[in-house]
Amino acid sequence: MVESSFLNPFCDEALSIVRNQADLSTVFDIDSRLVDIISFSPHQNLSDESYIPENIINLALKRIKWFIERKNNKEYNSHDYAYFFVEDITPYDVIAFHLSAQAIANKFNFNSREMRLFIQAQGQIIEDRLGSLMLSEKRELTDDVLGELMVSGTVEWTFLKDIISSKKLSLTDLVIDNGEVILDRDEFIYRFEDKFDDRSASKMYDVLVGDNVKEEVLKNLIMQKTEEYIQNIQEKSQLIEAHPSILTLADEIEKTIDEEMTKYSTFYANLNNPGGYMEIGKLVKEAFPPCIKSTVEGVSSGGRNDAIVLFLTSFASYARLYPGIFANEGAGIKVSDIDKNLDITEREILPLIFEAADNCTPPLFEDQPQEKINIISKLGFGMHSELSLDHEGETKWYTPMSCEKVKIHLPQLCKKDKGCKGINNPLSYYTRAKWNLKNEGKLPDSTQSESNSNSDGRD
Amino acid sequence: MFGKSTIKERKQFYREEWNLKDLPDFITDELPRREFGFDHYGRGPNDRYKVFKNQDILRRFLKSKSPFAAYISIAYYRNPRAREDWQKAEYVFDVDAKDLPIRSCDCDEGEVCAQCLAESLEIVNNLIDTLDGDLGLKNIHLIYSGRGYHIRILDEDMMLADSDLRGEVLKYVAGATVPKSIYPNPDPSMVASNFNFQHFTLPLAYHQIFTDRVKYNIQHLKGTEKIDGINPKLLKDIIKFRHLLDDDAWGLFKGNIGPRRYNNIVSAMANVNLATIDAKVSIDIKRILRLPSSLHSKVSMKCVEVKDRENFDPLKYAVPKFVDERKDEEITENK
Repeated sequence: MVESSFLNPFCDEALSIVRNQADLSTVFDIDSRLVDIISFSPHQNLSDESYIPENIINLALKRIKWFIERKNNKEYNSHDYAYFFVEDITPYDVIAFHLSAQAIANKFNFNSREMRLFIQAQGQIIEDRLGSLMLSEKRELTDDVLGELMVSGTVEWTFLKDIISSKKLSLTDLVIDNGEVILDRDEFIYRFEDKFDDRSASKMYDVLVGDNVKEEVLKNLIMQKTEEYIQNIQEKSQLIEAHPSILTLADEIEKTIDEEMTKYSTFYANLNNPGGYMEIGKLVKEAFPPCIKSTVEGVSSGGRNDAIVLFLTSFASYARLYPGIFANEGAGIKVSDIDKNLDITEREILPLIFEAADNCTPPLFEDQPQEKINIISKLGFGMHSELSLDHEGETKWYTPMSCEKVKIHLPQLCKKDKGCKGINNPLSYYTRAKWNLKNEGKLPDSTQSESNSNSDGRD
Repeated sequence: MFGKSTIKERKQFYREEWNLKDLPDFITDELPRREFGFDHYGRGPNDRYKVFKNQDILRRFLKSKSPFAAYISIAYYRNPRAREDWQKAEYVFDVDAKDLPIRSCDCDEGEVCAQCLAESLEIVNNLIDTLDGDLGLKNIHLIYSGRGYHIRILDEDMMLADSDLRGEVLKYVAGATVPKSIYPNPDPSMVASNFNFQHFTLPLAYHQIFTDRVKYNIQHLKGTEKIDGINPKLLKDIIKFRHLLDDDAWGLFKGNIGPRRYNNIVSAMANVNLATIDAKVSIDIKRILRLPSSLHSKVSMKCVEVKDRENFDPLKYAVPKFVDERKDEEITENK
């Protein structure tokens, strides 16, 4: 029987492991038992010593590295990290999890790139571990962990509201009845048996709820708990000084993420990844989605402000400077990280936005000149009338609206064309259309991607 | 509907007809934590940030000012005078008869009539059934706003919800998302094969809600609508075969339309469902809404709480007395 701490680092057993086995003074020491577990993990790649974390700190860093590689490396080999999926690793992994959470909470802001990566890694590890189990084991463990998380046959949908709000789980994919999400087979059959004349309700349960929904709920609840856990530590960290080992681990996590992301991020136009369609380059109007084309042509009174200030400003700036925002982990990025002297922003991005504002009926700045300040603010330069590096960071660089948000805020702009199929963000439409134009040889030379040296201020 | 009210009529309404008792309890319960806004001249609610410590002060204000329109915040603030320290906000569905993307009456754009008002009521009743029956939300109030309806929800979970959660619930209740149709085969030996279920083959949960909404839309089409994704030929065919849906013969309906064109209908209807509700209102956590009991001076109707949502008739319960007097005067003049 697999222990629930294999999936749930917050269960009583996992917390007991942390209480009884975690020793911050030895986390950098070589742990021969850990090395043995890894060495004897079935299918583990042992061709290089670097594959074997020798202590808890290295194991914590491997968790992050594993996740980034799994997500980005086309040549990812699961045998390099096979030890994460053997049960014997559990006590070490639980300690590595809690140390990492402490480190991230102490060094990084809430919702930082590091925090999000760590939480996503936890979700992925749960998913992959569930996938590695036998069906009967998986079902039993899922029910056990859901029970620990106070979820049994049914759960009120509002219990999952944070997960639904963050769109990790869609309300429309759940079977909800009288406010309750149905997770249990008997409950499903009891409530819906009469609804199916020609099919078995039990089989329909397998299809509509079955393992998938339960596992998704479990994964997301643990991710949610991880987020709350980090937030909780952050609140307390102002009162309690962190152990030096935790602070060292935090530095190492940052270094590992930087190195890994540099290796895989197309933002850096890395040599390992040439020709990605998220390349930075001049704006290609021919690749604009219909909603942006309409905005650039001008919007009539009623939707002007949102269309120009919220929608076009974020779209044009990201399309020009960082089209890979959604593919990469770009939280916390600033305009000047890419456009060092703000030349591109002043010469290309703002003129496009201002021209669109002029095309509105009536022209936006005629009756609402203050919207210029709002545009500057949405680029991350605070509430000022001019772009200035001194003010950068006072506000957040607003990320592009999703198609869903456009439909709600600016429904008049959403006139789909063939290119919209399978697209959920206008920026994705743009990058795909630009890629198609490039493949067809229709991309003008002047709009080809710029070299790393002149567009990427991080060098 | 009955044209604009004159200043004299507004004064008459607030002095003779308006009564403090017409304010619903959910409004008066925590009155000092709400922001009020007023439109005195019919140019929009410019008189904002008003706060009333008690009902009597509000009564005196309304009776003396007789505003063109009165509004109250859906939000509760610690400091409503500055709209600071937001605490919670009602969750609102705004269905305006004049903005319905599908209505079977012959109203001109921007106009409403008894028929489209009745259709609005049918729509909000369907929405409330889902909010209450499916999602189990509590403390739901229905308000006739003058040209449509506001569903005002004071369920504690939803009152604390952020815009994202409000948006997700909106899509569920409205039927604004095309339901999932591809499901993996749960049989481990058949993982490569997926099941494909059309929305109408799953009579439960969101699929049922979506099917109900689509059926309602199709049955109310006039044939003159302009709906993105549905061309005139398809619209004509939908109307030709919609009788099949009277008996829920969706399979036959789809067969007659054709699978590709049927998918177009499904996508288009999800958009229609979203457009039926003013989504901006639902995701807003700081909006002001027309004050129940007040006068909608643009159409000379009262904004009232609906007590019996199945049988409510705005022409019976929401027409101010001065409108009847206008008719009496007209009759006298014509004699």
